[in-house]
Amino acid sequence: MSALLAIIGPALHVLATQLPPQAPQGRNIVGAQVAIGSLFSLHILIAGLVSGAGELGPAIEFLGYMRQRRTYDRLAHGLGRFITLYFSVSSTIAILLITVLLVGFWGHFWTTIVTIGFWPLLIEAWTFVLQVSLAYLWYYTWEPLRSFKGVHMAIGGLLAIASFLQVYMIDVIASYMLTPTNPQNPIRLALNPTSYPLTVHRTIGNLAYIGFAFGGFCAIRYLRAKTAEDKRFYDWAGSFGLLWGVSMTLLQPVVGYSYAKEIQLHAYGSWYKMMFGTLSPVFLWQITLLGIMFLTATIYFARRLRTDGARGAGLLRAMSVGMVLTTLLAAQPYHLGLTYDAVAAAGLNRPFWEGGLINPLGSMIPWKVLALMFYTLIAIAAVVWYLRGLPGVVWGTARRGEQRILVLMAVLTMAMIVTMGFIRENGRGPFLISGEMTIQGQQNVQTAQPTPAPQSSP
Amino acid sequence: MVRRLGAAYNWFDERTAIRSLLRKGLYEAVPVRGAWFYTLGSATLVLILLQLITGIFLTLLYVPSVTEAWASLNYLKAHDAFGSIVRGIHLWSAYILLFVIGLHMVRTFFSGSYKRPRELNWVTGVGLFLLVLVMAITGAFLPWDQAAYWTAVVVTNVPSYTPVIGPFLRALWRGGDFVGPITLSRSFGIHVWLIPAILFPLIGAHLALLRKHGEFGSYINYRGAYRSREGVDVPPAPVQRPIEPPYPAVPTDELWAAPLETEDFYPHQTFKDGVISAALVVLVFILAVAIGAPLEAIADPSTTSYTPVPEWFFLPLDELLVLVPQQLIPLVLVLPAGGVLLLLALPFIDRGPERNPFERPAVMVPGAFAVLFVVILTLLGSGRLFNL
Amino acid sequence: MAHRDPRRLSRRQFAVLGTQLAGAVVAVLLGIPIVGFLISPLFRREQVVWREVGDIARVPDAEPTKFDVSFPQQAWTQVDIKAAVYVVKRNGNTRVFSNVCSHMQCPVRWETTLGQFLCPCHGGLYDMDGTNVGGPPPKPLPQFVHRIDGTTLFVQNRFTEEI
Repeated sequence: MSALLAIIGPALHVLATQLPPQAPQGRNIVGAQVAIGSLFSLHILIAGLVSGAGELGPAIEFLGYMRQRRTYDRLAHGLGRFITLYFSVSSTIAILLITVLLVGFWGHFWTTIVTIGFWPLLIEAWTFVLQVSLAYLWYYTWEPLRSFKGVHMAIGGLLAIASFLQVYMIDVIASYMLTPTNPQNPIRLALNPTSYPLTVHRTIGNLAYIGFAFGGFCAIRYLRAKTAEDKRFYDWAGSFGLLWGVSMTLLQPVVGYSYAKEIQLHAYGSWYKMMFGTLSPVFLWQITLLGIMFLTATIYFARRLRTDGARGAGLLRAMSVGMVLTTLLAAQPYHLGLTYDAVAAAGLNRPFWEGGLINPLGSMIPWKVLALMFYTLIAIAAVVWYLRGLPGVVWGTARRGEQRILVLMAVLTMAMIVTMGFIRENGRGPFLISGEMTIQGQQNVQTAQPTPAPQSSP
Repeated sequence: MVRRLGAAYNWFDERTAIRSLLRKGLYEAVPVRGAWFYTLGSATLVLILLQLITGIFLTLLYVPSVTEAWASLNYLKAHDAFGSIVRGIHLWSAYILLFVIGLHMVRTFFSGSYKRPRELNWVTGVGLFLLVLVMAITGAFLPWDQAAYWTAVVVTNVPSYTPVIGPFLRALWRGGDFVGPITLSRSFGIHVWLIPAILFPLIGAHLALLRKHGEFGSYINYRGAYRSREGVDVPPAPVQRPIEPPYPAVPTDELWAAPLETEDFYPHQTFKDGVISAALVVLVFILAVAIGAPLEAIADPSTTSYTPVPEWFFLPLDELLVLVPQQLIPLVLVLPAGGVLLLLALPFIDRGPERNPFERPAVMVPGAFAVLFVVILTLLGSGRLFNL
Repeated sequence: MAHRDPRRLSRRQFAVLGTQLAGAVVAVLLGIPIVGFLISPLFRREQVVWREVGDIARVPDAEPTKFDVSFPQQAWTQVDIKAAVYVVKRNGNTRVFSNVCSHMQCPVRWETTLGQFLCPCHGGLYDMDGTNVGGPPPKPLPQFVHRIDGTTLFVQNRFTEEI
């Protein structure tokens, strides 16, 4: 989260044992939630990119070395530049989050989570320091170490490891808040029921996100490019970004489904809220959005191949039709009301042809599972067919339409990330830490503590 | 003395042609660069031989019967330290064997060694992989402790979801409706006779084909490898990539006919093979002594407290069993079966002459997907089991 | 060179046919008993027996209670095999469940905290009536064929439905 945390972390840990059990509470809970929610969204939108770039950049550099392609090197260098520029933005927000909002509004929560997650947070903070040092080192030694590519790629490898570790450590905390385990045992804590699914889901997600993001960025640069060389580069990089993003995203349905299963087994309330409760419309939107993302990508593949008359464009268009049908299946709502309980309370939990408000085609099992499977299979087929067609593509000839699709894709991805963050953070409600600490009281449910006497308003 | 030995050798050679056989086997020209990667095949062979030897000696004590199997191994565990080490070596070399086979397959896939004329090397290799898997599965049934019994129950139940003939297949394997004495006898027979009787001739075929076509190595051993080194990624015209003058515009099979730099298999490659294999055997021995082969309580179908945990190499399949919902259970059969068919078909799908893995993304990327899915399922499965 | 009548077998063709025929005879004579041997257990009727489970008078209402019972094993084995029997009394009905999950036949257990039967292998869930309510199981929890004499429960070593 921040370098600051590395320094104040131990101090906070000491403080946590000294502080009174009730931290001063913010009075405007809703306002605090809105503030923290929007800041967290902004933070994750930038931090996800930085983290993804820290992992993908070195990988692209390695690929470029193996293939001896200068464009890969240029792209990796660009990602390095992005990290050096945006690291500070991300960390500024993170510091703001911790020092002002978390400590200020959610003091009791913060002291508790620092006590529970002392080691993960400490490692996280120091990997952050490591990451920022390595990122600058990696970027600024690019030219000096040109003749020592092996050394430079080793620095990149360390950067990727640091980036991954950082995400893993913060995911330990985040997953613990949903599915708490015995916090005394650091291994139980690090391997709590949702920590694997969340870490895999987020790591792959960050990797996909940076691909879509630089795809969109390169599309804009392509449209403004003056020289033929730049046009070639940005056309290729945009395609590469999208291809990479889709390749990563198509792994996500399996991981996400498994994640949901773990939530069902270990945090049933949250799962119910997501599937049948107030969050079910958001969840439905999320699964639909995933289909729209795959569809958009397939259309880009088909169009990009057709522009240069490369083989495979026709089949890719057929795949995009399949993707439309799958998305339509995935978008079926199960209960035609806000929540299932509302429908059931009205006595309308019958299929709609019997006058009820239930649409059996929208059930998770088996229809949404089938839709997720088809997403994955069609996306794999699309990626493979696009790769088969690529030798026939001449870079630098793309039309505006394709570049617009790339920009759209980046926007859709951001919408996806915000949606997922919204579901994740609201799924726990009314708890901050599932079953242990509520948002309102910020106090442990299991070990009952006296509620603080209401203060007279100033 | 030496002359007498030489004469005896000549006498023997005249009757068996041993000299030319050895020469063919030992003085084969193999690629020099990257040769440490090419030790995985021989490591696999050594580990399989380890299985054969320890397996033979385990049958000197083991009794394949539901009342005696567990008791005989329990006796081994309690009263026979060296026998326990033999069993430990059998188990741990099996685990490491499965892992090394996986690496060997990935290496072969990556280097494109399965291409013409080596398609059948790959096909026999896939066959060997499947046979070793069957060995691992049936071997896991034999101790008849809780872990073995429940593995047998779950694994033999999976084929019952085959459409139409499912229950028949399950009953065929179990020798009845439920896992019992006949299941154990059948698994034992399959494990010690049926599969080895196919496995070892197939290993012979695999090695004969290897010698017939020679070790391929990988693209770095060929002239074509340097083709893209100065490459510019902008093609002047569609389809054709820019190729530096000394090399053919389109890579052909001829380009990959003979490695650039070779040395004798014996002793240069055998040295590397020996180092890796010996290291693995030492590792197996350490694990066999330090951890050994576990033996849980005797099989008890009436348990309501035991939590069956699959063998680690079943984890991806087990995770599929968790994820696939009730209406779609046959998928658990379809997905692995489709994977196996794709593996067998690989050399007939990917027929282009290009061997450089970085220049044939249309094959490497789906391959990477397959590996990633297996790794992800394993990760998710282990996380789930840890939190049971 | 004289042309032979194409309908007449040459000496060579006769030998080829003879070899193939000999091979076929060996294959058939070996194949029939071996295949028969392999599939014979499928046609053997399992021995059906009644076994006493015990007195179920003290089984509390709406609380699945586990009993053990022994059945003869397959084929030649003389030692009995143990099986778990879950007795559930509810609304005057008595149901007798096995612990065999309908998904992959793992050992199902009653979880008091969940108020459901849980299969620990793949997370299958059944409610107190044995209905599959969660996870992958495709069918309800199997029930034993049983009879109750007074308060004594007897079960057969077969289920009411094939699994």
